[in-house]
Amino acid sequence: MQQLRQEENVGRFAGLLSRRDVLQRATVLGLGAFVASVLPAAERIFVSEAAAAVQLPDATLQAFADTMVPGRKALTTDLGNEIDPLAIAGVDSEPGAVEADALLLYHNPLVGFDALEAPFLSELSARSLAHGAPFLDLTFDQRVAVCLEGLGPSNPSVLVWEAAAAVPFTAFLAAAEQSEATIDTSSAYQVMGYPGTAPNGYAEFSYKRKLATELTSRGYLP
Amino acid sequence: MTERFDVCIVGSGFGGSIAAFRLAELYRAAGQTPSILVLDHGPRHQHTDFRQSMDVENLSRIYGLVQGQGAQIVVGNGVGGGSNFYLAASLRSPSETFERRDHRPDDGPDRRMWPLQISRATLDPFYARAERALRVQRPSWKQVAKSGGLWAATLDRAGHTCDRVPLAIDLSRCIQAKWCHTGCIYGAKNSVITNYLASAEEMGVQVRPNSEAELIVQSQARPYRYVVTAWELDNDGPEPTRQPTGGSFEIECKVLILAAGAMGNAPLLMRSRPGLPSLSSQLGKHLGINGDHIAAIEYDEQKVKELLRLPGYGQTYKGNHITTMTYDFWAGRSGNQWDGTRFTLQEIFLSTLPHILYDDGRDPPGEPSWWGLQKKQALSTFNNHIEILAMIEDTNDGEFLAPPASGGAFRPNAGPLWVGPFNYSLSEQTVRAREAANSAIAEVLARAGLGRFMKFTFRTANASHPLGGCRMADSKDLGVVDHGNEVFDYPGLFCIDSSSIPTSLGVNPSLTISAVAERASKLLIDRSADYGLPAKPARFAAGVPGVHLGPHTEPVRRTSDKPIDDKVRYYETAFR
Repeated sequence: MQQLRQEENVGRFAGLLSRRDVLQRATVLGLGAFVASVLPAAERIFVSEAAAAVQLPDATLQAFADTMVPGRKALTTDLGNEIDPLAIAGVDSEPGAVEADALLLYHNPLVGFDALEAPFLSELSARSLAHGAPFLDLTFDQRVAVCLEGLGPSNPSVLVWEAAAAVPFTAFLAAAEQSEATIDTSSAYQVMGYPGTAPNGYAEFSYKRKLATELTSRGYLP
Repeated sequence: MTERFDVCIVGSGFGGSIAAFRLAELYRAAGQTPSILVLDHGPRHQHTDFRQSMDVENLSRIYGLVQGQGAQIVVGNGVGGGSNFYLAASLRSPSETFERRDHRPDDGPDRRMWPLQISRATLDPFYARAERALRVQRPSWKQVAKSGGLWAATLDRAGHTCDRVPLAIDLSRCIQAKWCHTGCIYGAKNSVITNYLASAEEMGVQVRPNSEAELIVQSQARPYRYVVTAWELDNDGPEPTRQPTGGSFEIECKVLILAAGAMGNAPLLMRSRPGLPSLSSQLGKHLGINGDHIAAIEYDEQKVKELLRLPGYGQTYKGNHITTMTYDFWAGRSGNQWDGTRFTLQEIFLSTLPHILYDDGRDPPGEPSWWGLQKKQALSTFNNHIEILAMIEDTNDGEFLAPPASGGAFRPNAGPLWVGPFNYSLSEQTVRAREAANSAIAEVLARAGLGRFMKFTFRTANASHPLGGCRMADSKDLGVVDHGNEVFDYPGLFCIDSSSIPTSLGVNPSLTISAVAERASKLLIDRSADYGLPAKPARFAAGVPGVHLGPHTEPVRRTSDKPIDDKVRYYETAFR
C-alpha cells in the first residue's frame, strides 16, 4: 500500500513540475536554477501527469506545516476541515499548525501564497526525493532533514521557504483563520494557554507590589 | 478640477494630527474657519470598528506588514495611523540621544547627528505639551502588569533597577485585556482619533480617508506653492480590493505637510523628484527601526514562587503591554565615547505572532531552532514567557531603492503583506549593539536564576518603529529637512513625522515624534503669514485638545478571573 502511494505521489509530482508556468514563476523567485537542475532527473523518473490529483499538494502543504509546528494526529481541523491521514507525523501530543487550519491560510487570497505554491512544492518534492520518497511519505526525521536544507542560509530560495514556514506559524500563533478566536475555539490557544479575545479584560492582572528599586522619579531619564 | 486649501496634510498619525490641530488653533484664534485638508490612504476607524482579533481579514484592514530586503516593518493602516495600534509607552528620550555622533562609516563627516537647535532641553517644553494632550500617566505598582512586575522582580534579584513606564492610557477606562495592538475597543488608549485629530475636525479641519498622495509638483500661482495628486483607494465595503479605484483628484495648497510616516514620505518624495529637482541627495537614505531588537524569556514557574515569593505566573495575557523597563545599561554612559553602546530593556507584549521569532535555545548544532518539535514545545510554555524589547543605538541601516508605482509599498492583493522597496543591512555597530543587549539579558537571567533566555534568531530585522528616510540635519548635504522640519530649498514643504527622526531614541518613539511635531508646528505658526496663512495673533497660546471618544461602548471589566484562569490551567495539561 505504501509503495502504491509512493508511485502515485511520484506521478503527481511529475504533473506539478510539468505545469507550464512553474519555471517562469520559479525564475522570478530565484528558484529557476534549482528547478532546472533537477528537471532532467525528474523527467527520467516521472512518466505520467495523468495521475495528478487535487489533494496531493494540499496534503504535502499540511505535512510541511506539521514539520514547522508539529502536532498530534488528527483528522479534522479546528474549523472542521479535512486533514490528510499521512500529513501529521504525530510526534507531539498537543495540537499543531495543521489542526489550526494552516492549509486554509495557505490558500487564503489575502495571504497570496498561491503564487508561491507551485515553485515551493517543486523544490520541496525534489529535495524529498533525494531523501528517498515524496515529502508526504518521509518519516518526521527525514522531513526535518529536508526542511533543514530548504531553510538553510545557503539555499538561494530560502525566502520562499521562510514564507512557506511563516504561514503555519501565523495560523497557529495568531489563530489567523478565526475571527475573535478564544481558548474555546482555537486548539493553538489551548496549547499556548492564551484566552484570546477578552472584551471584559482582567481583574487580577497585577502583583500589586513594588518589585524593584527605580532609577528615576518620573519614569524617564534626564 | 483642482481643489484649493491653504494647508494639505498627507497622513494622519501623530505628526499629521498634531500639525492639523495646532494649525486649526491658529485659524480659530484668527477668527477664521480652517482651510486644512488631511489625506490618509487608509480607511476611517471608530473604536467600535476595532476587534480583538488577529484573523487575517482584520490584520488586512488595520496593518501593513511591509517586507523589504533584510527587514519586515509593521505600519498602522487607517486614519490615526500608528497611534491606533501603538502600545502607548510615552517616554522622553534621554539627553544623550540628541548629542550622538555615531553613524555608519559611509555617512558623512564626524558631527552631531541631530541639528544644533534640537536637544533634550529645547524639546522638553514640547514633550510636556504632547504629554498633556495624550494624557500620559505613570501606572502605580498596583497597575503594573504581572509580566512587567516579573521583569522588575527579575532585574531586582539580579541587582538592577527597574522603572515603571508612563503610558498614554486612561487607566480608569482600561480593562487590562492586553489587546492594544489591534486598537482599543473602548477608547481607553489615547490615540490621535480621540484627541488631536478629533479636536482638529471639531474646529473645521477636513479629513479625507482612502486617499493616497501619489505625486507632488510645484505651483506657480502664488501664494499657492504645491499641487498634490491623490488616488482614491477601495478600502471600504464587504470585500475591498485595497487597490486604486481609478479615481483621482488634485489639491493645490500654500503649505504641504508630509506626515505619511517613515515608510510613506520618502517614496512619495522620490517619485516626485522630477517636479522637485533640488531635493537632498540624502532622500530615502538612513531608514531606521529605532534600534528595535526583541527577545524573550521562558520562566520556570516553580522558581518564580520559590525565589521571588510571588504567587506564580502563567498569565502573560493580562495587563498593559508595556509597564516596566530598566535604564541600567544606559544611565551613567554620558559622553560621546559611549555612543553606539547604550540600550534600554523593556518588557513588552507585541502580540502572539512574534513568538515565531525566538530560538528555543536548546538546539544542538544542525538541528532546527526556530521551527520544529523543540520550538513547538517552547510555544506550549507561552504563558510563562515575557518578551523583552531592547532599544539599542543602531545606525539607521536601511535605504529605499526606487519608489513603487503608487504609495509607499507594493500591495500585491487585499491582504496585510506589502512589499517595500527598501534594503536593510545591519552595520557592524548595530550587530555589536544587538549582541550586547542579548548578553545583558542572558546575564540578568543567569544571575536571577529564574528562566531561560530565548534569543531572536530570525534572519531579518523585525520592527514596528520605522524612522528616517527624510532625516533632519544642519544642512542639505546631510539631510532632507531642517530643524523645523521644512524641506531644504522648498519653502512651505514639510516632513513632520517619524521620517524626520535621524537616530534611534532608546525609548519608544511616539512621544519624541509628537514633541518634534509640536515644535515644528510652533515654528510654522510663528511664521504663518510668510506662507500666506493667517498671521499669528499677539496673544496666541497653544491649548490642550479635548477628549473625543465618539461612538463607543462603556467598558465592563470581569469581576473575577478565576473561571478563565482555571480554564487556561486545565488546557495546560489536557493534552499531556
